[in-house]
Formats: sequence, C-alpha cells, structure tokens
Amino acid sequence: MADELLTVTIDGIAVQVPKGTTIIEAAKQAGVLVPHYCYHPSLPSPALCRMCLVEVEKSAKLQPACVTAVSEGQVVHVSSEKAKEARKGVLEFLLINHPLDCPICDQSGECELQDYTFQEGRASTRYSEYAKRYNPVEDFGPDIIYVPNRCILCTRCVRFMEDVAETPVLNVSERGDRAYIGIAPEQELDHAWSGNVVDLCPVGSLLSKDFLHKARAWDLDKTASICPGCTQGCNINIDTRDDVVVRFRPRPNLDVNRHFMCDYGRMGYRWLNRGDRLEAPLMLDGGRLVATDWDTALDRFGALLDDAAGPAVLLASGRTATESLGFVRRLLDRPDVTAAIKVPLGDEAPLAGIPNLALRRERVPNLHGAQLAGYGTDWAAAVRAASTAGLVVLLDPELDRDDLAALSGLPGRLVVMGTLLADELRGAELVLPVTTMAEENGTYVNRDGRVQRFLQAKAPPGMARPAWWIAGEVLAGPGPDADAPATAADAFARLGAMYAAFAGLTYAELGLTGRMIPLMGTSGAAAGAAR
Amino acid sequence: MAIGVKVMKRPEREVSYVRATLKGMALTFKHMFQPRVTMQYPEQKSTDEWRISPRWRGTHRMLTDEQGRSKCVACGLCPQVCPANCIKLVPGEDEEGNRYPLIYEIDEFRCVFCGYCQEVCPEEAIHVGVHYENAEYTRGRFVYDLERLSSQTHAVSTLWDPADPKGE
Repeated sequence: MADELLTVTIDGIAVQVPKGTTIIEAAKQAGVLVPHYCYHPSLPSPALCRMCLVEVEKSAKLQPACVTAVSEGQVVHVSSEKAKEARKGVLEFLLINHPLDCPICDQSGECELQDYTFQEGRASTRYSEYAKRYNPVEDFGPDIIYVPNRCILCTRCVRFMEDVAETPVLNVSERGDRAYIGIAPEQELDHAWSGNVVDLCPVGSLLSKDFLHKARAWDLDKTASICPGCTQGCNINIDTRDDVVVRFRPRPNLDVNRHFMCDYGRMGYRWLNRGDRLEAPLMLDGGRLVATDWDTALDRFGALLDDAAGPAVLLASGRTATESLGFVRRLLDRPDVTAAIKVPLGDEAPLAGIPNLALRRERVPNLHGAQLAGYGTDWAAAVRAASTAGLVVLLDPELDRDDLAALSGLPGRLVVMGTLLADELRGAELVLPVTTMAEENGTYVNRDGRVQRFLQAKAPPGMARPAWWIAGEVLAGPGPDADAPATAADAFARLGAMYAAFAGLTYAELGLTGRMIPLMGTSGAAAGAAR
Repeated sequence: MAIGVKVMKRPEREVSYVRATLKGMALTFKHMFQPRVTMQYPEQKSTDEWRISPRWRGTHRMLTDEQGRSKCVACGLCPQVCPANCIKLVPGEDEEGNRYPLIYEIDEFRCVFCGYCQEVCPEEAIHVGVHYENAEYTRGRFVYDLERLSSQTHAVSTLWDPADPKGE
C-alpha cells in the first residue's frame, strides 16, 4: 500500500507519515529542523555532508536523516548529546579551511554555515597554526562567480546542473581537501536556469555578479510576489532595500516552480526602480498638461467616458494585475470596444528535470487574466483601430517606437493610465499615474489557470494609485455614498460579480500558493467580451 | 507719615573696610605661594594632573593600512548597530575584487558617541577618537566623509581599560 502511514517519534513529537518518507521530511512535519547542507527537497540526496546525522534508537550508529526512510515506531533524537557532538565535529571540519570572510561575504546573514556554527558549533578553532587552503576566485558564467575558499562541497550546484537542468557542466574536481567545484573545459555556466545554483549554495561560494556587494542580507525586506517575466507565474520573493528592488528570488511552490526560477525572470526587476515615474494626475488645460488632484482628475475621466462618441480602444499591459484589467475593462463596457494587451514573444526555455516548468514564449505574466477579463491579443489590429477611435485608453502598455508613432496625434481623445509618459503622448486629454506590480496588491493568472496573489513590496511614487482604484472610483461615481472598492482584496472579491471565472474567490482563499480556476479562452484567441 | 530711616550704630571695628581688605589681600597673596591649577587652554591641552581619559569617545577616525587605504571592508555592521542611524555606507568593489566603501559618511551631529561602531567593527577600522575640538564654519562640514575620517590623526579611544578589560 502506497499510502500506508507510519508513526515515528522525533524529539518527543509523534507524527504520522507515509511509508518511504525520509527522517528529515518527517522531522519537518514534526516541526523539527535537522541541520543539513547537501540535502535539498528538489534535488536527489547523496548524504555526503554528514550534517544531518541523527540518533535513531536501536541503531548502532548515527543515521543520515536525508536518506534514511522511517519505519514503524521509530524513535529519533535530533538534539541528543550524541547527535549534537557529531554535528559539532562536522562543523569543525568544514571550518578548517573556511575563511573568516563573513564581513565581506554576500551570503553573510543568510548563510547556513554561519547559522549552524552559531547555534551549535565550536566557539573557536583548534587549527589556528595551519594556513588555510587558498584558491583564486573563478568566473563561472555571465552572472556567476565561484569563490572556492568558501565552498563546503555540498554539491547542490553539481546535482542541480546534472539532475535538474540536465546540462552537466559542473563537477567536483580533485580529491580530499584539495577538492573544489570545477567547470567543464571551454564551458560556461550560462544555462537559462543557472542562476538557481546561487540560491542553492548554502554558503557564499557561488555568487550572483548582479547582486554582488549590493546589500547585506539583514537590510533586505522580503515580500511574497509573482514573477512578472512570463506566463509560467513562478512564485518569488521581492527583496527590497530602502524601497529599491535589489533582486528577485524564487519562493517555493511545489505546484508551480518548486524552488526555482529562470535567469530571465531573475533579471527582470530593473523596470520597477525607474526614477522617471509619473507622480501626479495631469490634465490638458489650454494645450498644456497641468498637474491636478485626484478628485478633479476622476471627474474629468468620468466626463470623458460619458462624452466619448464612436468606437473605443483599450490598450493594456500584460503586467497589469487582474483586478486593474477587470475594472478598467468594465469602464468601457460597450459593444464597439477593442481591448488588447501586447504579448512580447521569446524562446521557450524549459527546466528539463521539472515537469511543466519553463520560461514560456509569452513574456507577460497575466496573459490569461487579461483574456478572462475580455482582452484580446491582436495588438496590431488594436493599434490600427485606435487611429479611428473616439476614445483611446492606455493602461500602462509597453510601447515601442512604431506604437508611439501610431498613437501620437490621434483624432479621438486619449487617456493615459501609466507609470511613464512618453513625449509622443503629451497630447493626451488626461494622464493618470498608476502603480507597478511591486507597489500594489493584486493577482496574476498563470498559464494553467492558477490565480496567484502578489503583495506590495515598496511605496508608490507620489500620488500614483492602482488602476483598479481609479476605475473603481469612476465606476462608483462621485459623492460620499459612492460604493468603490477600498482595498485590493475588496476589488478582487467584486471581480467575481463581473467575470464568472473569478466568482466566489477571495484573497483569503487564494493564500500565498494560489488556486486553480478553469480557463475559458484559449491561448492566442480573444476571449469573449466582459461578462 | 514721613519715612523714617533707622541709623545703626555699629562698632568701628565691624564696619571698617581696612580690615576686610587686608583679609582679602592675605588670601590673594597666599595663592601666590600655592601650586598653580589653571591650565593655559588652548595653548596647553593637558597637564600632569589632568589629561583626557583614554576611553573618551569623541568624533570618529578611520584607520588606514600600510598603503594608506582605509581598513574598512564595507561589511555594513556599523550602520546596522548604530542607534542614531548616522552612518551612511555604500559598498563597492575595487580593481582587485576587494570590497571597499564607495561612500562612507558619518553625521557627527546625529552621532550619540556610544562607540558601538568601534566595538562591532571586525576590521578595527572605524574608531571613536580621543578628540573634542570640532568647531566648523558650516553645518555641512559635520558630515565626515571617508577622506576626512581617514586623514584624522588624533588618538583613538580604547573603549575599555587595557589593564582591566572586563571592568572588574
């Protein structure tokens, strides 16, 4: 029987786990952390670091928790004297050649060697008369450097490249205390997913050149988010320092991206730090754009929508949250509307060892959310339609030079809801500053129909507000009794009343791992108009 | 009613100034033969009897290595520990791949001179100085940059008594 449950006792806590579970996994369920280096839940376990040795009753020797399967009635001691003594010994060996680099090491503060040594290692060395092994820093690839001195040879990186990326360019070269991580001759660590070795490295041996010396781990604020790179919707943490995004790191979600994210997504954070953002609503007054307040701007927007004659065009970005896409689409809820998002395409780059995980061709995170909210993907047709439309609304789309040329000097009225304002669009009737995905709460719908939340990671610039707030206020109309959504959670709950696919969903139900919904539209084809 | 003034009739020896003057001058001349306690500051900064404590915590000084570069490796511990939040640090990398501070600034106005920065420094780079003469013509000059901190030459604080490091 595959799901036969065994009862094991770990540090006095009894847990029931399926047959075949390792002690380290069972301990995780019991809420006991077994210190470990070579073990990683998404990699095969070689049991070579000897850090996870635990005492198992009725067994002569200490057992490695990462490869020992549990058996019925087993009693395991993780923090017994014997197990602690063993770990202390392992740590002492690891530290013989480990340099005292903590002040200059990027990993400092999130280093497992530092943590475990502080918890249960020796306070001082007994090997001070020996010189430490020294090897120069090596350049492994476009974004990765290898500092061999700090390496503890857990081989997580080697196993990731071999078993998960299936591009075995890394190896353990030499033997004994001369061993180091080598790279195959004439090769570079330039796989599309190679950045993960930096996250996997428990010490500061493999480092990202992009993040090098940028921030100390304890300066960072971590916010749960979703990668805005492609339709895969990898779960990430946005690390910010003083309201500046400094890196994206994968956040484990076993159903989407396990523990990984691709290099394309990892590097796609710079646009969130732009300094030339729109900060106040601007209104056309006597041929010039003049800053105004939100009340005036919202009234003007409402009047423009009421006055608009003829067909309307809504051009949006696929990075926009579902809430914003849904509410803004609702503003233009009439038959002659062309709504489209731009979907830049790239090459698909799968991660071989993990099923259904790839950098997808469609490089926008919310393609499917947009389709559910009634947006099409025929961008060129929508831009053409804008040239004859009575009203054109832009929802922060990424515009290239051709788009800008087509959109400057339109006959109809132009409303720009955006983070930036191109010079070509200065003829707009109304310009409303909106927030980016890092500055608001919202949801994306990934390619499998998983609705996933992202949280606000930094403060919005100036008076910028989320687009759902703008649209919600305009829909509710002016006055103190107007019933507009006040929070993103509120906006998302109301989305269900507008679009059947989201009916009954709330933020609480989504949690931080998301929930699946059926996708109605098929990829590429325009979904039906807003319902 | 007219204001009446009562005239006291005191004995001559109690109201005579000659006696008080002589008493005062006696004290004055006595001091001419006693040891001098006045210190001629600013010409004279210390005397045998009075000198500034080696544990005095004054404005900072950054120590340098043999090549004259600051010993700081921009580890970020001093801005982290600083209770007044007066240290600004931006790390960078030099041509040899060494980590060093691109920007290191201490706002001496905000500083509370607790000495934590010196205590936490793993490289023994930043120190609080045994120094108290800090007058400037502008407020801006009180934000000490790395160059200023490194070019100071005054003595640095020992923070604790070397003979009794644990304060027992």
